[in-house]
Amino acid sequence: MAERPEDLNLPNAVISRIIKEALPDGVNVSKEARRAISQAASVFVLYATSCANNFAMKAKRKTLNAGDVLAAMEEMEFERFLQPLRDALEVYKKGQKGKKEVSEQKRRDREKKSDADDNKSREEEEEEEEEEEEEEQRMEEEPEAVAEEEEVEN
Amino acid sequence: MAATVATPATPAELVPERCGSEEEARGEPEDGAPPPAAPGRPSRLPLARIKALMKTDPDVSLASQESVFIIAKATELFVEMIAKDALVYAQQGKRKTLQRKDLDNAIEAIDEFAFLEGTLD
Repeated sequence: MAERPEDLNLPNAVISRIIKEALPDGVNVSKEARRAISQAASVFVLYATSCANNFAMKAKRKTLNAGDVLAAMEEMEFERFLQPLRDALEVYKKGQKGKKEVSEQKRRDREKKSDADDNKSREEEEEEEEEEEEEEQRMEEEPEAVAEEEEVEN
Repeated sequence: MAATVATPATPAELVPERCGSEEEARGEPEDGAPPPAAPGRPSRLPLARIKALMKTDPDVSLASQESVFIIAKATELFVEMIAKDALVYAQQGKRKTLQRKDLDNAIEAIDEFAFLEGTLD
């Protein structure tokens, strides 16, 4: 059966966390309120997507891009989001670029090591996945360190 | 930095323990909890789930990774905003617990939330 929008809820734990951090200490949120906010968030995604898609279609593009989403935010009267979103996008783009280089390097290393020991390489992959996540976050602060690793491992 | 990536001397030990200790070092209160949603931070909402939601729209064919990310980020901002706006109503009612009716009030009163009218159970 195809997934309906209603079935795709955002994870409760994450929603709860975002709410908790937005509110002052000592404030509680009832289960019903939390559920309603989660539903509202899903509706937001759908509405924003639809709006953004209109911009893409107007430009005769089949692929929704970040610009379409930003235009949608403005259309939806969420201009206050525009600057934080643009900032976040910059950071994201840098992270993606670094991640690509690092994962290509790791792929080369993995190929070398898998010849040596099959068991070890499986564990390494798990380890490397975590490292990639960490490095994604550290990437912005220590680009030189990543470059250094590449030299070392070469 | 090089040390953490270097030789997998004891991978079995490193994998489970490092997860916990790394998070403690960063001062994380929960396991697997990502850092707060400051504008520069990656999104906490899972991009795969956001993308799946987006794709339920029959008019949407493809969405760039960036667009999925921006929607995820915007959704976080939206959640923060609606929670804070609803809180005002709870405080008016001298309550410290946000309730469903506070949400309803916020939706009715605030223009930006008009799209939500009639959409919540």
